Amino acid sequence: MLNSRRKKDLILQSITYMASFISLFVLISILLFVFLNGFKLLNMDLITHNFESTSYIADLKDFTGPGVFNTNKDFDDHTYYSTKWGIALSDSENLMGHTIVLVTYVHEDSPFNDLRNKGVATQDLMLDVDYEIVRIAFDDGPSALSIQGAQNMIQVLDTKTTFRELEYSTSGGGIRGSIITTLYLIGLTLLIALPVGVGAALYLNEYAPKNKFTKALRNLIETLTGVPSIIYGLMGLALFVPITISLTKATGANLISGALTLSVILMPVIIRTTEESLKVVPDDYRHASLALGGNKTQTTFKIVLPSAFSGILTATLLAIGRIIGESAALVFAVGTAIKDHVSIYDKSTSLSVHIWAMMTDEPANIELSTTIAIIILVIVLSMNLSIKLISKRLLRKYGVTHE
Amino acid sequence: MQSKIHIKQTQKRHNQWLDNAIKYILMGFAILSSSFIFIIAGVIMVKGVTPFITNNGGLGRVNLADFLTGSTWLIGESFNSNLYAVGFLIISTLFIAFLSLLISFPVGVLTALFIAKIAPKKLAETLRTVIEMLASIPSIIYGLFGAGIILKLVYDFSTILGFQSKGGNSILSSVLVLAIMTIPTIASISEVAIRSVDKSIEHGSLALGASKTQTHFKVVLTSAKSGIFTSAILGIGRVLGEATAVSLVAGGRRSGINFNILDTTSTLTTMMLEGMKETTGLDYDIRFSVGIVLMIVILITNFTLNYIKRKVGNVDVK
Repeated sequence: MLNSRRKKDLILQSITYMASFISLFVLISILLFVFLNGFKLLNMDLITHNFESTSYIADLKDFTGPGVFNTNKDFDDHTYYSTKWGIALSDSENLMGHTIVLVTYVHEDSPFNDLRNKGVATQDLMLDVDYEIVRIAFDDGPSALSIQGAQNMIQVLDTKTTFRELEYSTSGGGIRGSIITTLYLIGLTLLIALPVGVGAALYLNEYAPKNKFTKALRNLIETLTGVPSIIYGLMGLALFVPITISLTKATGANLISGALTLSVILMPVIIRTTEESLKVVPDDYRHASLALGGNKTQTTFKIVLPSAFSGILTATLLAIGRIIGESAALVFAVGTAIKDHVSIYDKSTSLSVHIWAMMTDEPANIELSTTIAIIILVIVLSMNLSIKLISKRLLRKYGVTHE
Repeated sequence: MQSKIHIKQTQKRHNQWLDNAIKYILMGFAILSSSFIFIIAGVIMVKGVTPFITNNGGLGRVNLADFLTGSTWLIGESFNSNLYAVGFLIISTLFIAFLSLLISFPVGVLTALFIAKIAPKKLAETLRTVIEMLASIPSIIYGLFGAGIILKLVYDFSTILGFQSKGGNSILSSVLVLAIMTIPTIASISEVAIRSVDKSIEHGSLALGASKTQTHFKVVLTSAKSGIFTSAILGIGRVLGEATAVSLVAGGRRSGINFNILDTTSTLTTMMLEGMKETTGLDYDIRFSVGIVLMIVILITNFTLNYIKRKVGNVDVK
């Protein structure tokens, strides 16, 4: 009897152990997946580059002939420099694993700084570092192709005195536009949501009488937390997009409508967090201020609000984390067009929507998506950690112990 | 002397005026924030009703009964029709929600029990941090994880079973992604409920000769029933409303109710996102109608679960 009970207990206990380690396992596998897949693309170029790469076919403009362009730059073994043309090329691999030739250095007087777009005579072009050279075609003899490698291309170039055309593409795959969009969204949203949210929290905690009406207000705000974000997106599309179109020069979904939508999503979070920190401010502070002759406004804004600073900071950090992670609402309220030139009156993508847009495209770009995911995860998890630290300090400050 | 008092009085009146003005401004903010729930419902209602009462630019009115019960979703632009139906989407959405809760509920509750009662302090603290981190990961990253890992696993799994899966896009993948997303929600709320169980109930059970494990499973969990149920309600809310993560692993099914967990599926939310990039007219407006259906499904589920929660009853913990 006792033995079978012990056996049963042991089984139940081991099930509990296993169940609780599933969470740990999931977290570790998500982190491993994201970091292992995305790490190889993580560098500064990713942040500074445009997403779209453009291809050009160009020829030389006002060309007088090659010269001698000496440089004292040191190149490694896999980079080849042509003193005749003042250009250095190296072999590389793109995301698909194909061999490509990249420009690693262009001399400041090099003829490659002075190119003209073939066909469109008015557009001046120039070669820049990290551009990808596809082929160089000559009047006499076969073209130099990227598949033959950088060394071959430089050797061929050195034997020629001019070329007919050069095909190259600018470097793409960067997420500069989405980073700027995300920053705009964070700034605009906080600008709208913080004053309204903190104001509402101040009213509910400092001014509101304890009656049914106040209770109803609180309940309605709480209900907002249960609304799925895709519904907020629909609301933004149906309400804020038309409003912003009529008030600004926007013609469709735009960053302002996105920020307004995000503000509504964040309202309950900001109000609740701020109110919690207002609640821990001791009543003695308020009484002391009022006894010294301060009026209600002075007490609220000069005594209570500064004491609740860490709560507002927590709310801000929570809000930033939520803005960075939000995707469904923004798909509707800002659109899914990945942009390099961001305007707040136009469609664009935040980092999360950038992932979604790439993953729903054919073929899905998992490498770049996981790289963006690394950035999102690092920001969100560090926000989470700082919130923990702040709330610990806040509790210690007012002598409230945890639990 | 007289004038000084006068100045003081005007100042006082001025201050009172300012106090009141500030009070009403802040009150305005509070009322604005709380009225948004009505604004959301109103705006979506107005937009979502349009397809049923207007001619939809020559396509004709959408029949409400067919819309709610049918099992085909035609893309209006290419088929140029008004034959949209969400009946099969409602069923598959509820089916997926049920299956994912079947995984996440036991795992979440047992994790909560482990953290609150069984684990040593250090381990409990670590696991609590893990749960918090999981809860803060944005859903799009869960979707990405699903598309990168779970799809492959499900694809291999169905190959073993001899089923030609469409790249792993299936009910099973959606269920797994949603399950791991809801574990932290369920675990953290259940943990609070378990910890607030009165110690004397536990001591009573131990004093009567029950073992610790028996007490945990038969006394603590039943006493925390109400809080645990709440966590399930919140979890299912998250499952029903999740959109982007599921859209990456569901596969997009346009017709027919499907209960084969290895085959593709669609939910109300993924259908709203489908083809969102380029669309106008009826195909655009109908998304708001789906939004209304989604809100109603969530409301009904919540009411039903809350009703069950009351029926099942409550052990008085205090």
